[in-house]
Amino acid sequence: MTEHAEGHSASYERIKSKKSLAEILEVATSFEQKAFEFYTDLIPKVSKNMRWLVEELAVEEQEHFALFTNLAKDPSIEEQVKQQIETPVEDRRFSDYIQLPDLGDDIDDQAILQYAMGREDAAMKQYRELADTTEPGAIHDLFEFLANEETKHKQELEKLYYELIHSGGPGN
Amino acid sequence: MRPENYEAIKQPPSNEYELNFGPNHPGIEGNYAFRVKLNGDEVLSARADAGYLHRGFEKLMEGRLWIQNIALVPRICVPDPVPMEVCYSLAIEELCGLEIPERAQWLRVMQLEMSRLAAHLFAFGGHAATTGMYTPMFWGVADRDLILDRFEELTGGRVYSIYNIPGGVRRDMPDGFLDRLDSLLDYLDSRLPDYDSLFFRNQVFIKRARDVGAMTQEQALKWGVTGPNLRATGLAFDVRRDDPYLVYDKIDFDIVTQPGGDALSRNLVRRAELQQSIRILRQVIKHLPSVKGAVRCPIPNPLAWNVPAGETYTRVESSKGELAYYVVSNGGDKPYRVHVRGPSSMHAVQVLEKLAVGSRLEDIAQIMFSLDACPPEVDR
Amino acid sequence: MSDISYKDKGSILAPFKSLSFFSRKPVTESFEPRIAADNYRGFHVNDWDICIGCSTCQKVCDNAAITMVKIPGLPDDPVMGIRNERPAIDYGRCCWCGLCVDICPTSSISLTQEYVHTCRENELDSYFILPDPKGMHDKFFPKGWSKTEDADLVDLERQPMAEMEPQSRSDNFDEIVGGFTKQQAIIEASRCVQCGMCHDSCPTNMHAPEYIRAIWEGDAEEAVRQMYRTNPFSHVCGRVCTHRCETACSIGRRGDPVAIRWLKRYAMDAVSDERVKEIAAEGKADFISGKKIAIIGSGPGGLTTAFDLAKNGHGVTVYEALDKPGGMTRYGIPEYRLPYDRLDADIDVIKSIGVKIECNVRIGSDITMDQLKQDFDAVVVAIGLQQGRSTRIPGSDHQQVRASVDLLRMITAGESFDVPESVVVIGGGNVAMDIARSLARMQKSQYGKVAVTVSALEDFDHFLADAEEVREAREEGVVIFDSRGPKECVVDKNGKLEGLTTLGVISIFDDDGRFAPSYDEADEQLHRGEMVIESIGQMSDISLFGEELTEELEWNRGRLQADENGVTSVPWLWSAGDMVHGPDVVHAVADGHCVAASIEKYLNNE
Repeated sequence: MTEHAEGHSASYERIKSKKSLAEILEVATSFEQKAFEFYTDLIPKVSKNMRWLVEELAVEEQEHFALFTNLAKDPSIEEQVKQQIETPVEDRRFSDYIQLPDLGDDIDDQAILQYAMGREDAAMKQYRELADTTEPGAIHDLFEFLANEETKHKQELEKLYYELIHSGGPGN
Repeated sequence: MRPENYEAIKQPPSNEYELNFGPNHPGIEGNYAFRVKLNGDEVLSARADAGYLHRGFEKLMEGRLWIQNIALVPRICVPDPVPMEVCYSLAIEELCGLEIPERAQWLRVMQLEMSRLAAHLFAFGGHAATTGMYTPMFWGVADRDLILDRFEELTGGRVYSIYNIPGGVRRDMPDGFLDRLDSLLDYLDSRLPDYDSLFFRNQVFIKRARDVGAMTQEQALKWGVTGPNLRATGLAFDVRRDDPYLVYDKIDFDIVTQPGGDALSRNLVRRAELQQSIRILRQVIKHLPSVKGAVRCPIPNPLAWNVPAGETYTRVESSKGELAYYVVSNGGDKPYRVHVRGPSSMHAVQVLEKLAVGSRLEDIAQIMFSLDACPPEVDR
Repeated sequence: MSDISYKDKGSILAPFKSLSFFSRKPVTESFEPRIAADNYRGFHVNDWDICIGCSTCQKVCDNAAITMVKIPGLPDDPVMGIRNERPAIDYGRCCWCGLCVDICPTSSISLTQEYVHTCRENELDSYFILPDPKGMHDKFFPKGWSKTEDADLVDLERQPMAEMEPQSRSDNFDEIVGGFTKQQAIIEASRCVQCGMCHDSCPTNMHAPEYIRAIWEGDAEEAVRQMYRTNPFSHVCGRVCTHRCETACSIGRRGDPVAIRWLKRYAMDAVSDERVKEIAAEGKADFISGKKIAIIGSGPGGLTTAFDLAKNGHGVTVYEALDKPGGMTRYGIPEYRLPYDRLDADIDVIKSIGVKIECNVRIGSDITMDQLKQDFDAVVVAIGLQQGRSTRIPGSDHQQVRASVDLLRMITAGESFDVPESVVVIGGGNVAMDIARSLARMQKSQYGKVAVTVSALEDFDHFLADAEEVREAREEGVVIFDSRGPKECVVDKNGKLEGLTTLGVISIFDDDGRFAPSYDEADEQLHRGEMVIESIGQMSDISLFGEELTEELEWNRGRLQADENGVTSVPWLWSAGDMVHGPDVVHAVADGHCVAASIEKYLNNE
């Protein structure tokens, strides 16, 4: 599990030690890539009726991955990053109360969702903390942006979780 | 146009001839025809020819929900529609055993008398016109219009008020209505001397109308004459007093009679009844504010209203005489049979046919108007 | 002023009195438009936002002057009871009686104080108009005759339903609702305006206007006949239906909707079970087709499919894993809402048509799907949602944290368990109310007092359970907290469950209206209880398919993929009921009909 998740101190130290925008983006990009790989590996392992969920998660991570890659290439990155964080997204703290599951053999849709939410939550907290410890400027803005991206993603998952678990499934 | 009534007849070699009086004639009330045989200007025989306004009301009612007929019945008698609504409603109320709130009963009496006033104003105006006096007609119609203004205010409709409904009336009167009615009555009171001097005490009218279309009390009873026409033969019979309905037993009024049984008597009875109706309305104005409560008792959904099986005969005193509804229900949501006992069908057919004989051609219209018959009600 | 005597000879001079009129002021009628009375019955105006197109005005119109006209672009939502039709008036027929105004269930239509409409020869069609809020000539006139309390012809009040008082019902499972008497049923049925909104909103399109009319006519058998056209679960639906018909009822716009569900119940109870069987069998095929259909699950979805197919002459076998047929209607709905004998009556009718029900047979283990595929011409899977979801909050793996569906099943089956003296229920739906109220009854009879707490995410404005369930639960002593999010099932040092902590919910919906609860960390509460019952979502146990079939089937966001006729991606397999459309009896019935019709076509090679 640790090799996929970002939520432990070693990776935090690794990110924090970096200074340049490009380097930060590189680390973030590799996080997303690892998550994408994790979900892709998981697809054949779950029962077919749950595969849609893992597939969607993989696509989400791939989109993040593409976003970060493009960010790194964009010359007007500073301006863009600033624009994105003008409306900070509130953290709803829903996933705090869902345990990180042990992704063993007998996994179900709820466990997968809980894992995904925990992952997004950890990433969000990490970027938020990085943003808080950096001086105002381009790097600070980038962390803010990344934290907001993860928060948004996490909130989407929370909604899905509620619909799936608390009201009998989407489409009701 | 009925062919059997209008086929060419060979005239005998004499002074006798046939004349089609109506259906389109200024001396006829509404679309109604009278076929008379004359010798010079003396009527030898007469035959009523109704049907030009036939709309089959009684049959139509059998195909409509109980409540839908409230829009139909006032059309049976255009100049005096309220008794139609009230009488129809009373019949259904009796079949259903509905208890009508007292306030609704007073409101009904108020409308009935307003309608009687309006109808009598129309009637004497019409009579005047048949004798060549048009001013009373203009006056009568103009003053009737003031009553229609009050009907518009009370019921939302000027002529067909469609205000009465089985169970009571459709809504309460507007604020200040009684005050405005009161001042209208003051005005009408002040007009009575004008009517008298122009018409009722006009020697021309009296001379024209005296002994015209006269019948005795016995004849009247035999022919089914009711209302002012019967009272004009000296018999004090009035459904309002002899078989009281609504709250008429709580109201003071006189039954006016005249002895002559002729066109003059009949007009003088109506003239007196104008006064009596004003008197009744003044009592209503005084009493109504103290009667509180609903104006309608609860009734079922009109679309799903089965009236219990049974039959009933309810009658009221309309401006033209005794109006009655014979209603039969087989327990369904529509009447099984409704028969309207309209006073005009007696007065305009059998009575007029008999009274016309021996009279002069120029008096036929006068006799008909003095009987105050209403052709749509003959035809219903 | 005295009467004039008959003997009065009058005077030739009397008329000359009117010469005095020369000195009076002439009466002049003004050219200005006259102002009509406040009540005047002029031309129609209709507020399209309020009008629902129910056509009641058309029905009461004594001259057939009203035609309902379809207006594209207006809302047309059967579930909400709105049609995109509006009344158009033929002023060649209208008699201005205003009955349309007085009977309008919504009070959208009124008459204005406008007097005059006329036209030139080439505008004769201008007498046929579609009233809108603007008025006949796009010119404002105040409203004349409009809806008042005096004049309203709509009966807004429903007949009272006899119910057991809270003190007499709170320690037993006797049915709470007493049902209508014949007199009450007729009066209640008479409130109906026959608009048909109920029929349109019903998932299975029950012929409610027809059976309400039949009840009003005193013909309960005809009512039952109308019900069996679309619903073989009429006893059940007469008691526990989610009654979308009543939500759509146009009388409900301003008053109590017609008690359609209770009327259905009345008619079913008024006709003997044997007679119901005869009525249900009317139109049954007089041949045996030789085709065989297997149905997995004996809930409303499965049995409705079975009923239709058996009626068409096919051989139908229903497999039920549990002891008795009925599915969630038996093992989910408590007896005080649906007595078992009424459910049995419905199922007996279905059996009498020729449906074979085999209980205690679990497909997947006792018989495999493969065997069914070989032995039958078609297979229907209608297994419902029988597993409770868990919140999986910390402590939720404690043995005293239970699922509501499991407990309800145990209560019906008569399996004993230790009734907790105090209990906390997580969830705000009808199932949460069912388990809360069932346990409250058991507590009351065993311990003499009730200690049930319900904690729901939703606030009372968006509550999932029916308002009457909430009211009755409270009357029975259940305490309900709304806007509480579960945080943790608290377990003490000795491993004993102490209760549930919850956080206050600040908001539950996001801007798009999707559920996304946000919590107030500072607002934490502990609800004490020896047992915590999770009653949130439910899901299907799809293990019966086995790995191979699961892989072969197509799925849609976790659910078995099926089209509107229940056709799955495998040609011999259909699915119906809750597992496709979520928990609702009448939806399952509707589903059953679709599936049966689809199978019928398949068997006929159409």
